[in-house]
Amino acid sequence: MTPLRRQWRQTLTIARRDFVATVFTPIFLLFLFAPLIMASFGAIGGMGAASVSAGSTDKARLVLLLDAEEAAAVRVADAQLRPLFSGEARPPELEVRAPETDTGRQARTALDDSRVDVPAVMRGPLAHPAIVYAAGSRDGARYLAALADRAVLGLAAGDAVRSTARIERIVTTAPSQGGRKASAFFAVFGIFFLTLFLSGQVVGTMAEERNNKVIEVLAAAVPLESVFLGKLLGMFGVAVLFVAFWGTIVAQGTQFLPADVASGLRQVVPAVGYGWFALLFAAYFTTAYLLLGSVFLGVGAQASTMREIQMLSLPITIVQVAMFALASAAASKPGTWVATLAEVFPLSSPFAMAGHAANSPALWPHAAALAWQLLWVAIFITVGARLFRRGVLQSGSANPLWKRLLRRTETLPH
Amino acid sequence: MTNAADAITAEGLVKRFGDRRVVDGVDLIVPQGAIYGVLGPNGAGKTTTLRMLLGIIEPDAGARTLLGRAHPRDASDEVGYLPEERGLYPAMKAKEAIAFMGALRGLDWRTGRARAVEMLEAAGLGHAVDEKIRKLSKGMAQLVQLLGSVVHQPRLIVLDEPFSGLDPVNQERLERLILAERDRGATILFSTHVMAHAQRLCDRLAIIARGRRRFEGTVDEARGLLPQQVHYVPHHGGTGLSALLPPDARESGDGWRFTLPGEGIEQLLTRLIAAGHGISGLSIERPGLHEAFVRVVEQADAEAGGAR
Repeated sequence: MTPLRRQWRQTLTIARRDFVATVFTPIFLLFLFAPLIMASFGAIGGMGAASVSAGSTDKARLVLLLDAEEAAAVRVADAQLRPLFSGEARPPELEVRAPETDTGRQARTALDDSRVDVPAVMRGPLAHPAIVYAAGSRDGARYLAALADRAVLGLAAGDAVRSTARIERIVTTAPSQGGRKASAFFAVFGIFFLTLFLSGQVVGTMAEERNNKVIEVLAAAVPLESVFLGKLLGMFGVAVLFVAFWGTIVAQGTQFLPADVASGLRQVVPAVGYGWFALLFAAYFTTAYLLLGSVFLGVGAQASTMREIQMLSLPITIVQVAMFALASAAASKPGTWVATLAEVFPLSSPFAMAGHAANSPALWPHAAALAWQLLWVAIFITVGARLFRRGVLQSGSANPLWKRLLRRTETLPH
Repeated sequence: MTNAADAITAEGLVKRFGDRRVVDGVDLIVPQGAIYGVLGPNGAGKTTTLRMLLGIIEPDAGARTLLGRAHPRDASDEVGYLPEERGLYPAMKAKEAIAFMGALRGLDWRTGRARAVEMLEAAGLGHAVDEKIRKLSKGMAQLVQLLGSVVHQPRLIVLDEPFSGLDPVNQERLERLILAERDRGATILFSTHVMAHAQRLCDRLAIIARGRRRFEGTVDEARGLLPQQVHYVPHHGGTGLSALLPPDARESGDGWRFTLPGEGIEQLLTRLIAAGHGISGLSIERPGLHEAFVRVVEQADAEAGGAR
């Protein structure tokens, strides 16, 4: 058996052990369904927030201090403009109150009404309306101003013919620049989201071997580089299982999307086409995982306790978010020096190149980028293994090159 | 002198940790098919030497070959190793743990599992085949690890303090296993500081103290390092007896112990009988490996003290 083949076999043995040890445990189910738990909490929180928001909207009123004729014109205008708003953007209902002698004072008093929330009050005449609003309710005041304008036009036009538009939905297939940008962002965010969840898992894997003392058995039988790569591949297998599970569910879920949303998604066409984009997305997810994972594995291998590993989670998250920010900037500004930097810097390269696939149709840069990224995976694994061998197994020379050089410099005559 | 039939050769191995020379120029030659013991007190450098031989750590100086290969890693599929600090995955079943260790050394999983079951049953652990390691006693787990280190039927087996932590029954089992592996044709190198095992098992041995090899040879040669001891029981004691005995004579129980004189025992006995002390009992004893080991280590300590 050739040394390379033996090393590959040993790598797969380590990967298999780690995969089985991770997947065939009850804890894995918790990990697998973590997004569901997270989404459930998100949904519950969102429903609560929506309920609170709806409750406060129901109790809010925009008050009109107008005579009956002007108030009726404003209501007509409200009926025309209100459908332009949806959800939380919808303005509060109108409430007409008979104007008193001092409408200025009446308006200010209305804002302090304790029975209902009054964000804004408008008093006539409509040709020169005066609007007051409570702090933070400027949108309500603007809406009242728009209603007044529309109502004045309505009153002036009388029964004259008004424009009535015919609105028709057409399904388009041509990709748009906006669609490319959206697919670039989707690619960057998708890979970031997946690696954020999954690559951090490898940080503590070497600690298991150190605590169990298995590392001595492994180190005697297998090159440490194979141990590192095997652990990385084992955990990557876990990540693929996770992605496949949720990918299948999400793919099935798209069948139930509303027609408008599905049509909108068809506009999101990456520059390289769907087929290549899917392949490149998978390839860049793999390299992103391997790159970040190899760095985290190498750093985590130096930690000997769970406390040290936990302390590493913050810098790890910061690194990931920084790479996401850099790649997002690259995706939104293709062809700039920021984009080039993000595409070349090893840790952000997979994210940025996935965005590049959405923005540019050329395929050859991806072959170069993947080779470049895999080279860095090899570098990170080699460096991580050497640091581990030197620091943990104490295999390093007591007199390394840098020390010898330093000593020589110190003893040189001045 | 080394030859191609040697399982292990090491020449001038040196390892420093910081400013401390833990191993200071160790030479070893382990012939194929031998049971070879590396003896030494705690901290002598035995484990570090074994780790260098196996390629777990690199020596700072010196060279070694393992089964004829210049780099130990190239022979890893033909080597079995039981480290001093035992380590198994607690969540693995005993059978899987053995098969995993075999798989690391090139044995396919299916064969590894089948052999694991056979070996566990032969070792009296048939009931533990599907037990998780965390549920086994320390001794049983140690036995599982030992079986894992030989499941791939290696040509060379390296055992670091294999008897430590085992009860007498399991020590006996381990001795039988080592002899069985030697009969299969394997070379066995093990370290220990318990002389009884070494005396019973080793064809050859090396004594390491303070990072250096102080002795290399057979058990008999090691025992020959010390002169034979005489145990003499006089028929009549009394004054003047001690003056007739050699200067190192010391009372021991009902008699006296002293080093066998260089000219033999006959002249001394003649003098004792003539002085009326008579002979109630007399035996000439060869010192054990234990005594030889203690002497070698004490000499090493004395040398180190003198050097300081």
